[in-house]
Amino acid sequence: MKFAIETNSLSKFYGEVRAVDSVSLRVKPGEIYGFLGLNGAGKTTTIRALLGMIRPSEGNVRVLDQAVGPNGGGPWTRVGHLVESPSAYPELTVRENLEIARRLHGISDPAVTSRVIERLAIAPYADRKAGTLSTGNLQRLSLARALLHEPELLILDEPANGLDPAGVVEIRELLASLAHEKGVTVFMSSHILTEVDRLATRIGIIHMGRLIEELDTDALEKLRSKRLEIQARDPESAQACLQSAGYQSALNGGTIWIEAAHAIEHPDDIAKIMVNAGMPPTRLAVEQQNLEDHFLQLTGGTK
Amino acid sequence: MNGFLPALWSETLKMRRSRVPLFTAIGFSFMPLAGGLFMVILKDPQAAQAMGLISAKAQLMVGVADWPAYFNFLAQAVAAGGLIIFSIVTTWVFGREFSDHTVKELLALPTSREAIVTAKFIVIGVWTMAATLLIFGLSLVVGNLVVLPGWSTELLSSTFTGVLGCAFLTLGLIPFVALLASMGRGYMPPFGWMILTMVLAQFSVILGWGDWFPWAVPGMFSGAAGPRAEVLGVHSYIILALSFLSGLGATYYWWRSADQTR
Repeated sequence: MKFAIETNSLSKFYGEVRAVDSVSLRVKPGEIYGFLGLNGAGKTTTIRALLGMIRPSEGNVRVLDQAVGPNGGGPWTRVGHLVESPSAYPELTVRENLEIARRLHGISDPAVTSRVIERLAIAPYADRKAGTLSTGNLQRLSLARALLHEPELLILDEPANGLDPAGVVEIRELLASLAHEKGVTVFMSSHILTEVDRLATRIGIIHMGRLIEELDTDALEKLRSKRLEIQARDPESAQACLQSAGYQSALNGGTIWIEAAHAIEHPDDIAKIMVNAGMPPTRLAVEQQNLEDHFLQLTGGTK
Repeated sequence: MNGFLPALWSETLKMRRSRVPLFTAIGFSFMPLAGGLFMVILKDPQAAQAMGLISAKAQLMVGVADWPAYFNFLAQAVAAGGLIIFSIVTTWVFGREFSDHTVKELLALPTSREAIVTAKFIVIGVWTMAATLLIFGLSLVVGNLVVLPGWSTELLSSTFTGVLGCAFLTLGLIPFVALLASMGRGYMPPFGWMILTMVLAQFSVILGWGDWFPWAVPGMFSGAAGPRAEVLGVHSYIILALSFLSGLGATYYWWRSADQTR
């Protein structure tokens, strides 16, 4: 199997609105693919198309080497999913909700339900009606349902929604261990960019229905690289001074950027050079560009 | 049809845990109880007035308190109330998946969507027919408590056929309620549909076209518009069967093909 998920020019139109516009995705087995976008960018529509819940206007979808049909056809015994907000039958207990999922997945071993309850740490709520659960525990129940049948592929829409900080870390570690130890492919959308940044091995950014960028591991690593940012009263002269001292730099909006490792590790040396040249820095800081900055820059959001 | 038995198990569990069966049973139970009350009043209006059961201004229908009158009331009550209660059950079984946003958990599964829809229809059918039998049994208890004259096994047999037949024919109308609950993604559209069809059924009977209008057929079968052999023809049952099949087909098609965005 070359790709766990493959879409070719996937489009979904609602009248004049192009919710998803010609998106071609390739997710390799074992990858953790972060799918980012602003509200209304087309993330959930794409996820619904991957799960056969909506019929593409154009293009096609293949999941685990099988075509996803508009009639519910697909490799669903091997796929776990969580779409949008968590949901459950409120009058049924947590265990009963999972029992329904177990049977509908055709799993005959009833112990599976207890195992997933333990795994998602919802044992104290197992016999409580789902309608009384907090949002965080409802999210855990939905994740338990997605993991119940030990799928090869997880398609998760905002998996960290509603979880407390400890829960976010717990789910991150769970997903990472599934990917690294069991080779599970994870396709996840999230608004929590720091989570995606920490977890994903590849990232796709969707904006106004179009996949505008994909970042692989190297690009992500580069994005996370540090730089020394320097400001001075006369930035051009300061840059020339640093250049003559052997530091390659770039000038960006009045701020000098140096990516040389020595400068990042010894900013005091840089300060000394500038002071000796009679142009002391007004600001000197080691900064790390992150996914959030990059995402906002691409999508035109503000920070 | 993959996964029919698990789907049936799931739908049965949902129905068992819900309060809808209890509420519909209570609603249905009012029919024989109300019939029994009318019989008590008809038996002795003065005593009923003295007991405060009716006010001095009560416009009592003319009639006698006996088993034929009581069963006639029951049959007509099932014809009118049956559609309401059957529609409520159907609306809940289908519409709740959209109101509770649980429909998305039923779509990408090895259990086919057809199996889930079939299981839903079966649960609705079993529950509504069981509720009909419940009220028929209750009506026998109430009739005996009121001590009505005019009992015969022929009457029992024909009323049983009438009530069960009326309920069975009403079941033929529920696929469109299921379709509206699915297409409308909730409770309001099927309720609107139910009211519309009830009003149209009344009009069709008044205009003399009731035997051609599927939603009027169960009521006419109950004897509300005269003896069923005189008011209904084979064409009435065929039209009802066709509307059942088209509603069923449309519901399956919708679940199989429509975009699911809830």
